Parts: sequence; structure tokens; C-alpha cells
Amino acid sequence: MSTKKKRSPPTENSSWVVIATDSIVDVPKTATGEPTFVKLRNPSTGSASLYLFGSGDSDLYEVKAFTEDYHSWFIGQTVQRDGRLLYITQMDPLYLLLPYLLKAGAEGKFQPVEQVVKDEDFPGCTRLLSCTRSLKSLHHVADEKEVGSLKFHRVSQEKTLDWLKKKVERTVSTLRKSNISVGGGVKSSTFIRVKQEEQASDEDYLRYAHGLVSEYISEDLRKDLLKHLQLPELSSPKQEPPAKKRKLSDLPVEAKDDYTKLNSSDFTRKPPKKMTAAQKSLAKVDKTGMKSLSAFFSPKVKQEKH
Amino acid sequence: MDLGPFEADNTVSCRLASAIPDICKTDDCCLGIDEAGRGPVLGPMVYGICFCPVSKKDELKALKVADSKTLTEEQRESLFVNLDEAKSFVGWALQVISPNTISTSMLQRMKYNLNALSHDAAIGLVQFALDSGVQLKEVFVDTVGPAEKYQDKLSQRFPGIEVTVRPKADSLFPIVSAASICAKVARDHAVKGWKFLEDLGKVDTEYGSGYPGDPKTKSWLLNYLDPVFGYPQFVRFSWSTAQTLLDSNAVPVHWDDDEEDGEKSAARQNNTSMLSYFNRTSSQANGDQSSGRDAHRFFTERRLQNISSL
Amino acid sequence: MSANNSVTTVQLGSVSQAVELPIHFLPCEIEHDGPAEVSQYFTSTVKDRKHELTVSFRGRGLKGQEVNCPEGYTGLVLKQVHKPSSDQEDGAVKVSSTFHNLTYWNLEIPPSTDDGVVMAMAWPKLADAIHGPVED
Repeated sequence: MSTKKKRSPPTENSSWVVIATDSIVDVPKTATGEPTFVKLRNPSTGSASLYLFGSGDSDLYEVKAFTEDYHSWFIGQTVQRDGRLLYITQMDPLYLLLPYLLKAGAEGKFQPVEQVVKDEDFPGCTRLLSCTRSLKSLHHVADEKEVGSLKFHRVSQEKTLDWLKKKVERTVSTLRKSNISVGGGVKSSTFIRVKQEEQASDEDYLRYAHGLVSEYISEDLRKDLLKHLQLPELSSPKQEPPAKKRKLSDLPVEAKDDYTKLNSSDFTRKPPKKMTAAQKSLAKVDKTGMKSLSAFFSPKVKQEKH
Repeated sequence: MDLGPFEADNTVSCRLASAIPDICKTDDCCLGIDEAGRGPVLGPMVYGICFCPVSKKDELKALKVADSKTLTEEQRESLFVNLDEAKSFVGWALQVISPNTISTSMLQRMKYNLNALSHDAAIGLVQFALDSGVQLKEVFVDTVGPAEKYQDKLSQRFPGIEVTVRPKADSLFPIVSAASICAKVARDHAVKGWKFLEDLGKVDTEYGSGYPGDPKTKSWLLNYLDPVFGYPQFVRFSWSTAQTLLDSNAVPVHWDDDEEDGEKSAARQNNTSMLSYFNRTSSQANGDQSSGRDAHRFFTERRLQNISSL
Repeated sequence: MSANNSVTTVQLGSVSQAVELPIHFLPCEIEHDGPAEVSQYFTSTVKDRKHELTVSFRGRGLKGQEVNCPEGYTGLVLKQVHKPSSDQEDGAVKVSSTFHNLTYWNLEIPPSTDDGVVMAMAWPKLADAIHGPVED
């Protein structure tokens, strides 16, 4: 009945909705300098990602965007078209320093970190050394030598893996206290979330936490850490199966179609197929019922109301 | 006629009814169904039933009820008073379907069209009469659509009741005329006394007839068009008149169930998540993950991704 | 040399002047950035029936729920105060308003813990686990 318009390309944003840890704005009066967004080398992908240095560069934060299509904001008496929600959360600077230490470690020498943490493409990386935690935590991943007032470091694989193992263990304990579904990620092919209390094993938790920590380390280190945790590499070519569609509203409408016929290079130009009436009703009917079914099986945790 | 219960919340549908005459619970009754305000782009649609004992048909006729469309507003008002005065043997009930219900039903993901909405309202009212103890034997219905199908549907739904669906029933059967008067009076009152939930200050009430062809209605629709919100809930967004005005005068709004264009539908067929669809097309999200492994499912399930610029 | 050395400063002085504003997360993309009569058309028509919020927007029925920011976190709306003329130049943003809870709206579907925005709220706590300091 209504004519549907094509979406115009997004315009450049001039405002952003953010959920940020309080320490970014609650700065002591003595602090100098303002928080700054910077681009640094993502330790997992090697390409640019956005981070934030707190006032005086004393802390580092990661920026992640919750990005679901077809969303916008009302903020007071305004509309913001960009429907993303940015999260600014604390980040351990050691994850970002580690690739530089590892690179220098190949030479096997003790070196001053100032000489090691340098990056032509990302000059901001030197600011990582100003973070309060950085120098204090280098010993987690490197051997230290002091000569006079000078400190020298050499990365240690063993220490690094022990440190990462502690990270994984911390993450496991937080996961156990949460209602995040960690089980069934490997074999589940249903749309119904498995009930985690019954299904998730210790290994599920460990693998899940390993996967999370691996978001901040290189592929080589990811594999080494897996061994260090005494977990065999899964036979599947990918570390994790593609994210399961959890939203029933995202169900493919033509469930009977053979997806393998479409390869990713040409599917964008394929015209939409018409659904038969039966397919339409299959696709449309009863979603709410199915939805509540999955809700029934999911952990009973209500979002807290204040 | 007291529209209080509807006016208390005019975003949803509301049932209003007279007291049930005792005689209707003991004697065989006839019942008429008619509707008012189906066509207008503004205000509620009202379904009405009126019922009385079959033995009192002549007395009803004596009240001089006639098709509400042939009457002036004053005549309808006074006829409604007549009906009210005949409450010892005439009862009525109304289903006021708010314009917001009409909009949201017709524009729903699983489309709920006006015919279905109308039939369900009519069936609901007949059921209400039965539940109230009215001894129904005959039902007369005015229809705009194909009469036969509707008649079959009602006969099946209410076995044992003789159902007559007829175009122009409101001028043929006094009980339908009576129903049409009740419905029309309610619709008039609802439109006249419309309380805008929106905070619009003093609203110009020169709506005209509410029919899309009426120049007064058209100019009201233009004056009260908001570029972001479109219209107050008084307007039926599902009417093409409203849609057309919005298409050319309001900012575009896109929903995930909009008619799919080629790309979106292809993305679904390929069973890729909307997230990866967005990744490919959005200039905002620089595919940080492109150069390495896939992000952990914690992040993909939560639609969380790294970005490389604000 | 890439543009990776440009930074965007957050002007913290703006925080003290930032007011708390109601914020709604809508299940549609509105091709507009700028003023809108939100309180007149939207907020004033929200109905709270048995703890389920309902409203309609452009004739579509929405069902909503309030969610709080995770503990220790605050919602900030950042606004550009200086637009860099090139990607080599530094930018600046200020905190224009804050929020401690937001109302998110689904298209016709009742809110649940499976909703993306609710699930994403689990991230900060997990980030603290992954990034918090470890003991020796």
C-alpha cells in the first residue's frame, strides 16, 4: 500500500550515543589533559581500531559499537539517525603492547620498552607507556633487568601464556556468574538456546573464555594459549561456528531454498524471489509463539528494573 | 451517549453497551449490524448492533428509524434518544475501533486488513449479545463486500441463527437502521470530542467529513503533518491519502520489514546475519574483522564490533 | 604516513553542564538528524499497561521497556564541536547530555532478554573480567 523508499546513504555523524565507564568522566581535579580517541593497531587483526586514552593518558579504554540495522535514537527533543550504541570499557594496555614486545623479542635481547613500542603507522602507540598499569604490569609478560636507573625487558613466552591463562580464568569466573550462554556453540544447530545450567561443561566455559581473550591477541598466540590450556584445536576449519541466528524474526524466509547455490559474490545482484502464499504464511505465522518458546528455554533472568 | 470509557483511552478499541432489556433474554430476538466511519482517514470506525424481540418489529418501525446516511446529524441524535427511550425492548452495543488500532493493525508485520478487522468486530458484538443472554434468532447485516461469503462465515460461526447479509441492509431492515444510527452517533461524538493525546495546543477541528476527497480534510492533513512523527494518532496512517502525504512531506522512515529490495532479500536468502549485511554496506563500520578471524560469537550475537573511527 | 595520528578530544568541561535527557532507542531508521517534537508526539502518547510500555510511531505499534546502564557506567551523548577539515586534523567532541537508563522499543514484539540491546549490556562486566588486572 505504501511506497517503500530506498534508504539514502548515511550522512556523516555529528553525535554519538555512548555507554562509558564512570572513570572517564569522574577524573580527579589534579588530572591534566582531556580524554582522547585515538587509532591504534588492533592486536588481533593488525588493523586500525578506535581506543580512548583517559585524562593524562593514565588509562586505556576500548570502543565497541552495538550495531543493529534499522535503528535510530530520540535524544531529548532531537532525532539521531545513527542507531549505534557505543560502549567505552576499560582495556588492559598490555594487550596492545604485547605485539610490539613479541616483535622485538624475536631478537632475544633485553631492550628498553621505549625503543620497542614504536609504530610508524600508529604513532599514538607510545602513549600506551604512559598508562599507569603499563610499566607495572610488564613483568607479567617479560623478564626484567635493571642496570642503574634503566630498565630493560625481554618478552617471555612462558610468562605471557601464564598471564593469559589467568585472564582466561578470571573470565571463566565472571562467565559462571553471568547468564551468558556458553554451551552448545560447537554443535548446536537449533534456534533454541540450550539451558546452560544443564549443558555447559567446564570445557565450554574454558573455550568460550579463551575465545574472548583471543580477541586481543594474535592468531599464533591464540593457538599457543589453547595448547597451554590443554584444549585440543577443534577440527572445524573455523574456530567458532558462524553466529547462530537467535532472533526468529531474522529467520530466512525461504527456508527450503538451497543456500549453497548462492555464492557471496553474486547474490547481491540477485532479484528478490517471490514467495508462495504458503511460504509467506510459514514465514509470518506464529513467530511470536516461537519466540516465547525460546524465551521459555532461556535462563530466567529479567532485566533489572530500578 | 456516554463515550467516557473510550475517551479514557482512545488509543485502543472499546466496547460500549446499553443495558440488556429483560424481554430480550426471554423472547426470540432479531439483531442488526452496521458500521460507521469505515472510509474516513480520520477518527475511529464504529461497529454497532441493535436488537429487539422479533415480536416488537412493528414497534421499532414506529420509532421511524431509517438509514443513518439519509438523516442529518440532528435527526440521528433525536432518533437515538427515541431508541434510548425504548430501552424496555431495544438494546444496543458498540465496538469503537480507534484510529490507532486501525493503523497498527493494517500496517502490522502480519497484515490485518480492514475487512478482517470489521468481521471480527461484528462477530465479537454478536457473541457479546449471546453471552449477555439475548435470545438471538435472526441477524441482519449490512455489507460493503461480497455478501455471500460473509453470510456463510457468519452462519457457520453462529449455527442456529438465521443470518441475512445484504448490501443496503440499513435501508431495508429497521433493526439495521437502528444499529447504523447508534454507530453513526457514536462516531460523530468520538470525532467531535476527540482528545488529542499529543500535546498540540489548540487543534483546529475543521476536519471536514474525514473523507480523503474532502478539501477541508486534505488541508487539515497538510497543516497537521509533522516531518518526523507524521500525524497524531487521530489519523489513520494506513490510508493511502496519509501515506502519500507523508511520502512527499515527511522524512523517510525505514523498518526491517519494509518491502525488501533485492539486496536485503538476497542477504536473507544467503542466510547471512543482518550484521554482516550491515558490515558490507555501512560506511560507518570499517570491517576490522575483515583481515583476520571472525569475531567471537559473544560479539556477533550481541552485534558488537570494533570501529576504526567515530 | 596514514591519518592514524589524528585524535578526537573529549572536552570534559562540558560534563558539568550536560543535562540528563530521556533517550529512546527505536526499531526503525529515521532519515533525520536534528530537532523533533518528541515530547509532544511521542512521550505524551506512551501507555504503561501492566508494566508493558506501548506507543505507536508512524502508525506502527511499538512495545518497549526501560533498561538501566550497567552499574559503574553512565550514558553520554557526545556532540561534535570541532569538525576536522581533513582526516589528518584533530577533532573535538563535548558531552551534550547524559542518561542512566534508556527506553528501547521493539516493533510489535514484546521486549525480552533476547533483545540485542539487552544482551549487549552484558559486555561491560565481561570487559572488566578480560581487562582487569591479574594478580601475581
